Amino acid sequence: MSAMTTTGAARRAAAPNLRADLTRTLRSEFTKIRSVRSTYWTLLLVVLAGITWAVANCAGEAAHWAQMAPQDRAGFDPTQASVVGLALLGQLVIVVLGVLVISSEYSTGMIRTSLTVMPRRAAVYGAKAAVLAAVTLAVAVVTAFAAFFIGQYLLRSTHEAATLSGPDVARAVLGTALYVTLSGLFAFGLGAILRSTAGAITAAFGLLFLVPQLAKALPSSWYADVERWLPGGDVTNTITSTQVQHNPNLFSAWGEFAVFGAYTAILLIAGLILLRRRDA
Amino acid sequence: MIEARRLTKRYGSTAAVDDLSFTIRPGMVTGFLGPNGAGKTTTMRLILGLDRPTAGTVTINGRTHPRLPSPMHEVGALLDARAVHGGRSARNHLLCLAQTNGIPVRRVDEVLGLVGLSDVAAKRSRGFSLGMSQRLGIAAALLGNPEILMFDEPVNGLDPEGILWIRTLMRKLAAEGRTVFVSSHLMSEMENTADHLIVIGRGRLIADCAMAEFIAQGSGQAVLARTPQPELLAAAVTAAGGTAAGVEDGELEVRGLTEDRIGDIAFASGLRVHHLAPARVSLEQAFMELTADSVEYHASVAGEGTEA
Repeated sequence: MSAMTTTGAARRAAAPNLRADLTRTLRSEFTKIRSVRSTYWTLLLVVLAGITWAVANCAGEAAHWAQMAPQDRAGFDPTQASVVGLALLGQLVIVVLGVLVISSEYSTGMIRTSLTVMPRRAAVYGAKAAVLAAVTLAVAVVTAFAAFFIGQYLLRSTHEAATLSGPDVARAVLGTALYVTLSGLFAFGLGAILRSTAGAITAAFGLLFLVPQLAKALPSSWYADVERWLPGGDVTNTITSTQVQHNPNLFSAWGEFAVFGAYTAILLIAGLILLRRRDA
Repeated sequence: MIEARRLTKRYGSTAAVDDLSFTIRPGMVTGFLGPNGAGKTTTMRLILGLDRPTAGTVTINGRTHPRLPSPMHEVGALLDARAVHGGRSARNHLLCLAQTNGIPVRRVDEVLGLVGLSDVAAKRSRGFSLGMSQRLGIAAALLGNPEILMFDEPVNGLDPEGILWIRTLMRKLAAEGRTVFVSSHLMSEMENTADHLIVIGRGRLIADCAMAEFIAQGSGQAVLARTPQPELLAAAVTAAGGTAAGVEDGELEVRGLTEDRIGDIAFASGLRVHHLAPARVSLEQAFMELTADSVEYHASVAGEGTEA
């Protein structure tokens, strides 16, 4: 405690490097995300959902392969069979993590301390989003490849198992991981806008699952125009698929991805503007 | 040094902070007093840049809070002790704060020891008592070894030992030349801790003066006399030009006359007086007198004096 007894000038001189900056805020946000249990629970659930789906689905397909009609065999996409579960179920879970990363700051009141120690709000926001994206991407990439390899191993008896060098296979596997990551950021943006855990999770599920279902109730000519612009992109027919896409109302895999990315960007930017404008 | 200049914060048509100007100087404890809803917390939030003022400015060492290059080294604040993520351990909570400003890990352990939380550093703060949470909040404020410290109701929930501890800590921080700005609704606590007072009511400045001056203002130089003959003494001092009011059985509060004069009057009138001394008005009483008009919700007849 010798520092406590020195004069003001000496204290200032003794601490020339105590500056708040983006790099340090990134480190801080990483400490935050790794020091709460909800992070581990949600990420564990993403891994379990992705792997369990791959095992159950691919083992099931392999078991029924002998009885499968030729046209069904032709339409079978071994890559998609192994990773689509991660895209759909992983999204469901990662939405919760994405919301919690920011909404828990508001529900606990921690945001006031966070913004006091680092008053550059855009840096806090950016660091939070970047750490969420990095952690989610790391887990999603590993899970996607694990699900892919486990799935293809289980499908080996069909002689249809895919390899990473196959057309569009690597894109579908990596695209799945990116899709899960983007879903987390989509939810993060909603969390920043709504500042409430329950509200933001409800909004995310509504936009990602309910809106696409409701859109199907539209007259078919309208739906044809709307389908490609729905939030969340098309997972089953484009993003996780390696097959030629026959629906003229959808974009390509990367196109659908870009649509989802654009929605996510809008939410992230809106969240940032509101964080900077509103009283904390 | 904290400087507020015509600081105003409005929520709709209500002004939480209304044209407030003050300077908080280093080397002393400045108490921040006001009835509930007077705008103390809002003022502190404005100082910290959490809320944006509707008008006016408030600066810390000449800069607004968002422009401080090393915020934790310039100001440490405890606003709400419960405003932590309960799932995070005390040490990780302090670590994530320290990292934003490049404060080394050993300082985290140092402040944990300073506030007496070393033994529970690895425990999640959800299970902390309010007293422990207050200590954790104070640890966070001290992390950057700041020149300015702000505490909003720091003794809330602390046991007598804890209250003594924080009082000693605040006195020590001020003695080291730091600026200490502390709000409290426990006026007796202020009396023991603060050198200077800023009193607000309904967001407006009521007093900005030294503690002794504040108490003197409120007391109006009253003299307390204890006598078995209060009615006769009251009549005698009134005849001599003073005013007397019965405090309780056998006690009179006399204004407008000195102790010497009252003693002489009693002697001349053949009255017995057992005690005669300046009435030591507590901070609490002085505060009540000064803020009587500015309390937001009077416990009086509805519709009376609700708006200034």
